[in-house]
Amino acid sequence: MPPPLSRRAFLTAAAAGAVGLGLSGCASDDRAIVRFHSSKPESIPYFRELVARYNQEQSAARVVLDTATNLQAAFLRGSPPDVGCLNYNMEMARFMERGVLSDLSDMPEAGRIRPEVQQLADQYATFPGRTNVLPFSVAAESVIYNRAIFDEHGVEVPTTWTGFLAACETFQAAGVAPLYGTFKDNWTLAQGMFDYALGGLIDVPEFFAAITELGTAVGPDSPRSFQRDFLEPMERMRELVPFHQADAASRAYPDGNLAFARGEAAMYLQGPWVFGELAKTDPDLSLGTFPLPMTEDPDDRKVRVNLDLALWIPEGSRQQEAARDFVAYLMRAEQMDDFNAQFLGFGTTTDAAPATDERIQDMQEFYDDGRFYLGPSQLVPLAIPLANHVQSMVLGADLRSTLAGVDADWARLAFRA
Amino acid sequence: MTTTAPVIRRRMDPVYLWIIIPTLALFTLAITLPTVMGLFMSFTNSIGFGTWEFIGLNNYVAIFQDPAILQSYAFTFGFAIVTVLAVNVLAFLLALGLTARIRALTALRAIFVLPMVISGIVIAYVFNFLFSNSLPALGTALGIPWLSTSVLVNPDLAWVAIVIVTTWSAIPGTLLIYIAGLVTVPREVYEAADIDGATPLRRLTHITLPLVAGYVAINMILGVKNFLNAYEIIVGLTDGGPGTSTRSIAMTIFTGFSGGDYAFQMANAAIFFLIVVAITLVQLRFTQRGEKA
Repeated sequence: MPPPLSRRAFLTAAAAGAVGLGLSGCASDDRAIVRFHSSKPESIPYFRELVARYNQEQSAARVVLDTATNLQAAFLRGSPPDVGCLNYNMEMARFMERGVLSDLSDMPEAGRIRPEVQQLADQYATFPGRTNVLPFSVAAESVIYNRAIFDEHGVEVPTTWTGFLAACETFQAAGVAPLYGTFKDNWTLAQGMFDYALGGLIDVPEFFAAITELGTAVGPDSPRSFQRDFLEPMERMRELVPFHQADAASRAYPDGNLAFARGEAAMYLQGPWVFGELAKTDPDLSLGTFPLPMTEDPDDRKVRVNLDLALWIPEGSRQQEAARDFVAYLMRAEQMDDFNAQFLGFGTTTDAAPATDERIQDMQEFYDDGRFYLGPSQLVPLAIPLANHVQSMVLGADLRSTLAGVDADWARLAFRA
Repeated sequence: MTTTAPVIRRRMDPVYLWIIIPTLALFTLAITLPTVMGLFMSFTNSIGFGTWEFIGLNNYVAIFQDPAILQSYAFTFGFAIVTVLAVNVLAFLLALGLTARIRALTALRAIFVLPMVISGIVIAYVFNFLFSNSLPALGTALGIPWLSTSVLVNPDLAWVAIVIVTTWSAIPGTLLIYIAGLVTVPREVYEAADIDGATPLRRLTHITLPLVAGYVAINMILGVKNFLNAYEIIVGLTDGGPGTSTRSIAMTIFTGFSGGDYAFQMANAAIFFLIVVAITLVQLRFTQRGEKA
């Protein structure tokens, strides 16, 4: 039997091992480490591959993909990632607004971004004199429809509100659910019916600029308010509720994906993120998209968009130069086109290739003409539980008092901001 | 007591220091410091990082005017009271059964304690499925209209579902404490009661309950504290919905981190903290009085 390892010998060996590991870690690689934060689940494998390619092509920096760090905590600790590539929304904008992101306006890539697209980022918040975020990919959302069901019932893609209602009635008369609803997951309502109804009827950026200006004055007597401007769109939204399948109130997002892919409804109000899920059930499903028409004028139709991914570099990064080099790499035209083709996104630059996938192709003309809006539900700070209120309204709560409640929330938020 | 001089002069045994210093340091670092920092931030407009400025008591003023916050308090307290009563009554009855002379006692105890080892969020998702799919299917088959849609999307009934699931998952812990309490009651007192001709009900109210009063108090305090902090079961069942009808205080506070409303929710947390401390002190006073009597 060998003598038992003494504690001292064990600790010495362990320490030597640790030092050895540390040294070898330094010796093999003296490149700058760039931490690249991107947590969009679907695109993680894509970015992992891209990072590996980048690390091979150059020797100045080594990019490390970080998909899990809590950003709020990272900024709080003062150790943010060096490059971020995330959905740009109200919460990200709040980081930017407090001046924690660096100015990228002098990068040549910034000049390639379409002004209307850059404008989307500014709708959330701006930091005077800076361009802090570079839009990388835009997701466009509208009504997803099942081409086979439309053909079977001889329904054309509607371009007016009455046309849309008529189409719904045709399906209903034939015993087909016109729309598949997943009311149990309130976010699906906020990004769907709620945003489409509002975006098709009101000038979204103008409204939010106005109520931001009003601040604490927003209320029953203010010239602009949720209860005044949202009432009609919300009444329209409620008109759509009976066109959903009978058990819409109890269904959740995964139920909806399964049912819609099985052809249990003609239309589904979801964004492009759902296509991958639908394909899991039926890869041959023939789908198309059209903006929900809310008026009698086909020219009023617009698609909902969001900045699915946007790039930024924190002020606190100690690798500014290497980070910028990687951002420039990501923003090469062929690189961006490749990403958008794979993830059904729309390009953000003037030189971007158009979408070719039949599922989103029909939205291209609206996108090119700048006929798009940011979802209003995205422009309300998370401190106001808007999606919950939307769910209440869909399930039958009083519209006036619910919207008055949102006004009061808005005023209180402005009071303490 | 006689204490000799050398003992008084002797320094504290270093073992105690070794035990207390790491604990104290960890507690200070992980609990006390963050609490003080959070309290400080509640007087600012901070979102957790970046620039901020003092805004005095604005956050506190805003809390008392916010119907959503007040609603979350009303919901949470109502929920905690109903649940603590339901849990304790059921667990006590079960404990009476499980300390009686019945067959397969060990197996039955194991079955009833099973929910304890399942995490709350898993329980919530399983029940979510039952409430959203199985029960509506049953309701449709039997032609009961209110049961054919999920109770989780019914603003008037969603809280009942949360009480049921929380009760189901909280009974085992409470049950164990009651079993422990009931086995300490000496057999002789029951024998004496039998000789005096006491009915089972009188035995329960005059012997069993007074003798396990301490255990009832412990279960009440732990229950109230746990249910006031209700979080994961609600997230898994309704996520605060439908609308905002089942948002608990803990859920509202947590939105402050993800929603960039850090300072405001810190103020909310401070108020909540004071309320819980006050409740605990009141409960402790009652139990101490009860034990002396």
